[in-house]
Amino acid sequence: MRSRRLAAAVVLAASVALTGCGRDSGGGQDEAKSVGAGKASGDITVWAMGTEGEKLAEFAKEFSTENPDAKVSVTAVPWDAAHQKIASAIAAKQTPDVSMIGTTWQGEFAKSGAFDPTPPDLIKKDDFFPGAWDTTIVDNTSYGVPWYVETRLIYYRKDLAAKAGFPDGPKTWDDLKAMAKGMKDKAGAKWGLNLQPGKTGSWQSVLPFAWSNGADVASATKLSFDTPEMTEALGYYQSFFKEGLSPTALPDGALEPGFVKGEIGAFISGPWHMGIVEEQGGAGFKDKYAVAQMPMKKSSTSFIGGSNLAVFKDAKNRDGAWKFVQWLGKPEVQVKWYQAVKDLPAVQSAWNDSTLSGDTSLTAFGQQLKSAKAPPAITTWEQIAAAFDLEVEKLCKQNADPAATAKAIQEKASAIGTGS
Amino acid sequence: MADASAATAPARPAGATSPDRPAGSVRRRQRLRRALTGWAFSAPFTVLFLVSMALPVVVSLVMSFTDLRSTDLRNPLAVNVVGIDNYTRLFSDQLFLRSSVNTLVFVIAGVPLTMVLALAAATALNSGLVRFRALFRVGFYLPVVASIVALSVVWRFLLDPEVGLVNNLLRLVGIDGPNWLYDARLALPSLIVMAAWRNLGFLMVIFLAGLQAVPADLYEAATLDGATRWQQFRNVTLPMLRPTLLFGGVITGIGYLQFFEEPLVMTQGGPLSSTLSVSFHIYNQFGFGNYGYAAAGSYVLFLAIVALSVVQFRLLGERN
Amino acid sequence: MATKDTTLRTRDRVATTVLYVVLLLGLLAVAGPFVWMALSSLKPEREIRDVPPTWWPETVTLDNFRGLFSRLDFPLYFLNSALVATLVMVGNLLFCSLVGYALAKLRYPGKRALFLAVLGMLMVPGMVTFVPQFVLVSNMGLTNTYAGLILPFLVGPFGVFLMRQFLQSIPDELIEAARVDGAGEFRIFWRVVLPLCRPALATLGILTFLASWNNFLWPLVVATTEDKYTLPVALALYSVGENERNYGLLLAGAVVVVLPVLIVFLVLQRHFLRGIATTGIK
Repeated sequence: MRSRRLAAAVVLAASVALTGCGRDSGGGQDEAKSVGAGKASGDITVWAMGTEGEKLAEFAKEFSTENPDAKVSVTAVPWDAAHQKIASAIAAKQTPDVSMIGTTWQGEFAKSGAFDPTPPDLIKKDDFFPGAWDTTIVDNTSYGVPWYVETRLIYYRKDLAAKAGFPDGPKTWDDLKAMAKGMKDKAGAKWGLNLQPGKTGSWQSVLPFAWSNGADVASATKLSFDTPEMTEALGYYQSFFKEGLSPTALPDGALEPGFVKGEIGAFISGPWHMGIVEEQGGAGFKDKYAVAQMPMKKSSTSFIGGSNLAVFKDAKNRDGAWKFVQWLGKPEVQVKWYQAVKDLPAVQSAWNDSTLSGDTSLTAFGQQLKSAKAPPAITTWEQIAAAFDLEVEKLCKQNADPAATAKAIQEKASAIGTGS
Repeated sequence: MADASAATAPARPAGATSPDRPAGSVRRRQRLRRALTGWAFSAPFTVLFLVSMALPVVVSLVMSFTDLRSTDLRNPLAVNVVGIDNYTRLFSDQLFLRSSVNTLVFVIAGVPLTMVLALAAATALNSGLVRFRALFRVGFYLPVVASIVALSVVWRFLLDPEVGLVNNLLRLVGIDGPNWLYDARLALPSLIVMAAWRNLGFLMVIFLAGLQAVPADLYEAATLDGATRWQQFRNVTLPMLRPTLLFGGVITGIGYLQFFEEPLVMTQGGPLSSTLSVSFHIYNQFGFGNYGYAAAGSYVLFLAIVALSVVQFRLLGERN
Repeated sequence: MATKDTTLRTRDRVATTVLYVVLLLGLLAVAGPFVWMALSSLKPEREIRDVPPTWWPETVTLDNFRGLFSRLDFPLYFLNSALVATLVMVGNLLFCSLVGYALAKLRYPGKRALFLAVLGMLMVPGMVTFVPQFVLVSNMGLTNTYAGLILPFLVGPFGVFLMRQFLQSIPDELIEAARVDGAGEFRIFWRVVLPLCRPALATLGILTFLASWNNFLWPLVVATTEDKYTLPVALALYSVGENERNYGLLLAGAVVVVLPVLIVFLVLQRHFLRGIATTGIK
């Protein structure tokens, strides 16, 4: 048996060498199949990263209580190389039944044909935040279910904001700029607002400004970074660096201590930073800072991230896998999951629970999530994002012209293409 | 290296290998026997080598002539053969060119720096005066065995512009230290120093071994001739150490051309792509799912490694 | 005469002192960061992140090390790593010395091609073969098995290169003498040649053990359930999050991971030195 498989691999290598095959263009649309009724059964294998991977096994015991014939086996995967692991598993057709998938990987993996389309009879689109649901869509078909979400808000020091004249935080683009200036000039902060000067993931801070300015940068088939709205947003972003309000070379790990000491007045980040600054700030720091919605221009639109759950085509237990995914998406389970690992629910109705609705910082995130956006799930997004980050770095550190930056991003992105 | 080694291998005693010429059939049988023995020894390795290494190399080489992307992984036969497109595209890829320059700088500065430091440490430890030699050996070797992720934590603290040890030392002598890792001109030099620091222990051990093999009477003779320590080093140590230097140079060159871990954990290739190396660029391309393109990049790197090794053999190797 | 002697001795003493000072400074520079790492693994997470960083732990705690045992099944991962690294080491020692002997001392057709293939392999960047290698291993049905973790590393070009270079310096007379005594080729290898190779074997042993012990990506991808994870994979799991790192666990893990390798190095270092010396690559 083994030797036959080996022989197959050799033949495979040789045939690639000898023949140029050429892929089918287009290919048939996937048809979502329904999932049978009744309780789940059998072994369900799940991969999950980081904290989720560490905690899910214990958490899933309740699922097994409700479905006595089903057993969930979770493998925790380090974030460091999770993408490589999933890609390799797809190549070897050795996938688990379900895996947690970073939202920006969705396009690439779905396009490879590795995911099973979401059965609409089981999962209801409208239950989820629209921005989160969009991350599962590839070629008009949904290939997974949002599990948890996060979005970016403005964290600011209340005391410094008050001195700067914005006791309730910034509401508009002008507010944000004036607050940052005031924090630096009047409140004695070294930096008014920390913004990411390029580097991996800076697009997640820049695009909210572009979206808030009405720019529509990318759809599944079209890339349009070179627009007046985009240029204006880039110019606004750059002005914080030009005017010395934002640092261009803040060392790793210096943000949180700087914020705690009041040297940095504000920064943009996701919900995980609440825990970090509260831990580093010690007792009482929770009252010293607040979070604000992304400032308004034409709208207040932030970035939505998080992770989805996808079921693989090569799943051995498709039925059980989808039932497990459906269970994780129940509002009451989402609330419990928040309590277990602090992951924000992707299901809107879960936010009505008092656990979440009772906390003002959390409700700020919940509010922002309703309109938050994600880039479309195109296969080449990670590569486009990397090119984007490089141009933003030039914008912030070398004072590149915003219009030229927008043009350069567009050129590089079109060269990469959407991969469809 | 094959020729170099053969040159100093002890000469065969003539009588041992040339007995009276046997008749043709006996000779043929003997040759067959020799072949069988040789391959009996080589077979276990060769089988494993072919299956687990050579075959993947062939597949990846083929891959470099196709437009295979990660989205094709379930169906790898359905790709297009694109000839040398990937290779030509590399040379108009600005990031690839930039990373080539960075890597070249890294190799040209890093290999000699590491070798000089390692040689200095080895010579000092070999000077015959030193007690606690094992302690020093292990101490200098420590960075070689430690995990790069943990080391990156330490180095980021060392190079921190405000509180880092390096800038605090500079402050003692009245210099206001720069922001090492965030300055596009200084980031690469910083990583070069870090790499030299990490690797000098390995080379030191190799050089120590080479130094111990230098016959002591050569030094005695030199001392009698009134040669200073420096003259002894130049005229005795260095020439005798040439083969070892060659080995060290080649191994370090192969490693440094694949410079990857330091930028990955310290700078992610920044700032402004100033520490992006060829290996890192290729790694990114694999990450983006451009498998064919990344494979082509790997084989360009392979050729560079071969070329560098050849040059080093020309420069340092013995002629024969 | 006497005065000249004393000045010479004083000069020697000065030189020795200078040498020690220089070496100590060098040692500080090289091992210092490492010592900081070890000391910091005894600090609470908060203190590790302290700005400015401290040298001596203000609060000494074993929490990070306890975390290794309570948060992950440390003994299991340790055993997995030890098993894989040991078998990889043994495989390399055996197979590479066999073929090294053939390449150095036997004459047979195809030898030159084999050696060139080995040298070429030494120069191929590792990451290019990763995916084909994995597809191959999984086609053989070896994902999530110890065999799958070990197989691709059982032999390596570096080991063959090293053993061949070393074996070439062993005098032919010894081998010829054994042949005249009527010993078979394998017996010669096993009884005469291998015992002479101890230094080179020690060198190869530590290097392959170290490489396998620190290997991260391959075991991560091949092991699909946690019970087959190795130590570096398990440590990455708990110390590196999506948005943050747990430095305490990371540093404690780094210290614990280094210890076995350091012990192997300490035990083998005398052989190790002579090993590379003789390879001494003439």
